[in-house]
Amino acid sequence: MKIRYLLNTLGQLGIGILFSLVVQADEPVTSQHVPIPDPPEAKQHFSAEQACVEPVDIIRRNHGQFLKHQRDQTMHNGVRTQQHSLVECINCHVTPDDKGNYPSIHEGTQHFCRSCHAYAAVTIDCFQCHASKPEQATASQ
Amino acid sequence: MTTLYAILLYVATLIFVLGLAYRIYEYASVPAPLKIPTMPAPLTRKGVVLRILGEVVLFQSLFRSNKWIWLFGMMFHLALWVVLLRHLRYFIEPVWTWVVLVQPLGKYASFVLFIGLVGLLIRRIVVERIRYISNPSDYLLLILLLVIGSSGAMMTFVKHTDIVQLKAFILSVMYLELFHWQPLPLDMPLLIHLAAVISLMIIFPFSKLLHAPGVFFSPTRNQVDNAREHRHVARWAIEKFETSST
Repeated sequence: MKIRYLLNTLGQLGIGILFSLVVQADEPVTSQHVPIPDPPEAKQHFSAEQACVEPVDIIRRNHGQFLKHQRDQTMHNGVRTQQHSLVECINCHVTPDDKGNYPSIHEGTQHFCRSCHAYAAVTIDCFQCHASKPEQATASQ
Repeated sequence: MTTLYAILLYVATLIFVLGLAYRIYEYASVPAPLKIPTMPAPLTRKGVVLRILGEVVLFQSLFRSNKWIWLFGMMFHLALWVVLLRHLRYFIEPVWTWVVLVQPLGKYASFVLFIGLVGLLIRRIVVERIRYISNPSDYLLLILLLVIGSSGAMMTFVKHTDIVQLKAFILSVMYLELFHWQPLPLDMPLLIHLAAVISLMIIFPFSKLLHAPGVFFSPTRNQVDNAREHRHVARWAIEKFETSST
């Protein structure tokens, strides 16, 4: 009887610990040791409530899909909108450094797209045709 | 959830590494008293190395005995290699160039892996003599691998997760940032994928998956056919009964 009671208590304790691990809040933490991409800030917010054209956790997961869907809409159906347009992403997200130079898509970690894509080892072919710098920057060069 | 998965990853890695090391020690130290290479066997050590390589890389004896099982086995194992190499990108920063180049191939290898596994599962169920000797654990391993493969392919092709955040989590686990782990993205396919991988790592040292190190220690494959040229005495027998070892 005593052993059973002991086991029971231990079991409940175990479930308690497990439960506390599961429900513990997952707060983002900064780290000095772990390399984490640090893409530059965008020029503006999409709206007062929302930073990007979609909620951040959605745009982080599905921006590839949005861009491809936008491409098909534009090329095949002739519907050219702005919300998921690559040009608009670049206009807002690619920012010049102190000297007014725009970061390269081919090297370094300063280009908005590249900072994460290099980290995740995902190659993109967007910029073999499209400009990787904002419209005003490419127009002046 | 981050804490739970991080701790489970440590536990699983410990069991996997220590368990595997113990098994290899066990296989290396267990006596192989008899000279029993399966004929025709190579006459030199170099020949034995080639034979084992042929066995490990090409599954030679399986090819000779059964072509369709060989095909499914080959599909699964080769695709698994490509997929594993693709996963290196989560553990290395900056990512090596050759991993970047291999990485996209891994996406499509997942289909080959899936077909191979389904083929091997059908073999267990449909071939009567195989079904007769199949244990629950044989099915469990195949199903676990299928869950790992399909949940992984699911993330690549259907429901994406935040892989940048995932890599940050993995690196923080690797760098032993104890209880300051980067948050794990909470997407169902990812949680299932990781849980299944953790289970597989824990089961590995106690399961048939040990054929991976075991193939190198198989006495019928790793012995030189020189029974007439040299007297074969097991090492433990030399230590126990013979004073001079010639």
